Amino acid sequence: MAHCERASKPLLQCLQRTCTKGLPSLQVQSARTFQTTALAREEAQTEAKTQSFYKSPDPSLVSSPRLERRMLRQGISPIGSRRRRAALQDSANIPFEQLPYQCFQEARKVLLGDREEKLKQISTMSEKISRLEAVPTEEAGGEQAKKSKLRAMELHLDHLKILADSNDPLVKKKFEDGQGDMSKPIYRFLADRKWREYRRKILVQRITQMNVVPDVLPHCEPVVDTKLYFGRNAIQLGEFVNASASAMVPKLDIQLFDRDEKLVTIAVVDPDVPNVEKDGFDYKMHYLAVNVPISATSTKVDLSKLSTESQEILPWLPPVAQKGSPYHRLSLFILEQKDSKPLDFAAVKAKETDRDNTLLRTLQARYHLKPIGAHLFRTKWDETTEEVMRQIGFPEADMELRRKRVEPLPYKRRNPSTFR
Amino acid sequence: MRPLSPVLASLANVFRIPISQTPARPMINRICNETVKSPTTGPVTSAIQQSARPFSTTNALLKRKGGGPRGDRRITLIRYFLWHPLTPRPLRFSRTRYLRHWTIHRAWQLYQAQQRREQQLELQRQWQSMQSACEELRTGAGDGGKLFRKSMIKTGVFRDLVPIEYGRLQTESPAKEGWNHEWKRPEKR
Repeated sequence: MAHCERASKPLLQCLQRTCTKGLPSLQVQSARTFQTTALAREEAQTEAKTQSFYKSPDPSLVSSPRLERRMLRQGISPIGSRRRRAALQDSANIPFEQLPYQCFQEARKVLLGDREEKLKQISTMSEKISRLEAVPTEEAGGEQAKKSKLRAMELHLDHLKILADSNDPLVKKKFEDGQGDMSKPIYRFLADRKWREYRRKILVQRITQMNVVPDVLPHCEPVVDTKLYFGRNAIQLGEFVNASASAMVPKLDIQLFDRDEKLVTIAVVDPDVPNVEKDGFDYKMHYLAVNVPISATSTKVDLSKLSTESQEILPWLPPVAQKGSPYHRLSLFILEQKDSKPLDFAAVKAKETDRDNTLLRTLQARYHLKPIGAHLFRTKWDETTEEVMRQIGFPEADMELRRKRVEPLPYKRRNPSTFR
Repeated sequence: MRPLSPVLASLANVFRIPISQTPARPMINRICNETVKSPTTGPVTSAIQQSARPFSTTNALLKRKGGGPRGDRRITLIRYFLWHPLTPRPLRFSRTRYLRHWTIHRAWQLYQAQQRREQQLELQRQWQSMQSACEELRTGAGDGGKLFRKSMIKTGVFRDLVPIEYGRLQTESPAKEGWNHEWKRPEKR
């Protein structure tokens, strides 16, 4: 008897549900628990197959090698593994949030309730902010107090916005797939956290270990994620780049994690130009551009496509290292302009014409810049350097630097008579 | 051979490992002794021994008796128990299943946080009502706060006598049977 009951339980549940609740979503749920809809699904599949599947197969469902080959010939690559596609063929495509697992659904209820509460808090908070903004400064207790209060409330509002979405599994999934919309605060928050977990640490380590930070600029607290590409190759931080590769103008991918748009100055500095007379090293500015707009959504900056009338001050000079000189660190800095105001291009262009004697520290002080991002690559003598030198008209292309020979000390008898 | 402990036996049952063939997991100290005494014949490095060919690639330091780098013993032990056949396999989830798991986990954390917050607020409310009652006693009793001062004198509290309600362990709810009327003091012999 007990076995009978247990066996017929899902059937009964299924029947009860379909009878009592006629909602389509719930019917889909019951389809998962019991195989009543298998027939219908098969029918639909056979229909689709006989009509169109073999003629225009779905790239996310195709599993037979012959069809896959045909699709590949058409230029469409199938999605996922064949095993996955085969499994997807006979699954009821229930959307993720309707998956019929009791604990999961209860959990979703809890999370949705919390989200409702957070949304309510957000609306009350924004109302409060607008009310405070409407209050005249004298009543609010002075300018400073009002400003600090507003700032704190805005910070709290941002925090609430993140909290409202941070428990959503679909947000997590989208972010992991790299489809997050960077104009939304939650995706920016997640991206920032991910960057800080690994890539920022590497960046800070490289620029401090290779002494870029005290050599070129005194401090740098990176807050934007920077990627550097020569052609299509992404350059790792501190990687040695061939002279022929770095002869072309790099592209940047600057990911900002703030809401507002910023105007930045981009500078590439080489602090390792050997100076034989001085027996030391000089700086050289390889690239300088001002008034480059970046925001969280528009991240790509192609240094060759910046306008020469309003942005590019010193065009890209391919970095070369003379034979025998130690490797050159080519450090790229993203500097935020003060209050995101554009600099006067003509004045800057007239002033900064000398590549050799322009220190980034001077520029930083002169134009009130603040470093927000950095990147680094290195270059040394390789077989393509000579050609690049000839192309750019490097003056001492055929000169090789040698270390000075240290004269050995004159022989001295180890055990002179005075020791005895 | 030692008989398997019930946990291991049930594990072996679950993973379909015939008990008669598998050796019981040796005790930790036994393994330690083995690994310390003979590193080349220990359970972890036995693969090296099995693959011994006529032209051995074992370096001389390993070949020498009692020599060779033994490595950290803790790491050896971790590796031994991690890869032992009786150790259950790691939990592997599909994408959606992991997401569902994550959802449930987050909901549980959220629920707990809400509960903690409620308890905290309740405690705060109780404390504040006690505080306001004391304030009322101090100002509103009309005796210049004498009663309040008397009640705040704490000499001898918990020193000479403990309040009767602390005589037993404090519980959330009263006992099922309120009073044990049959209780008699055990007679002294």
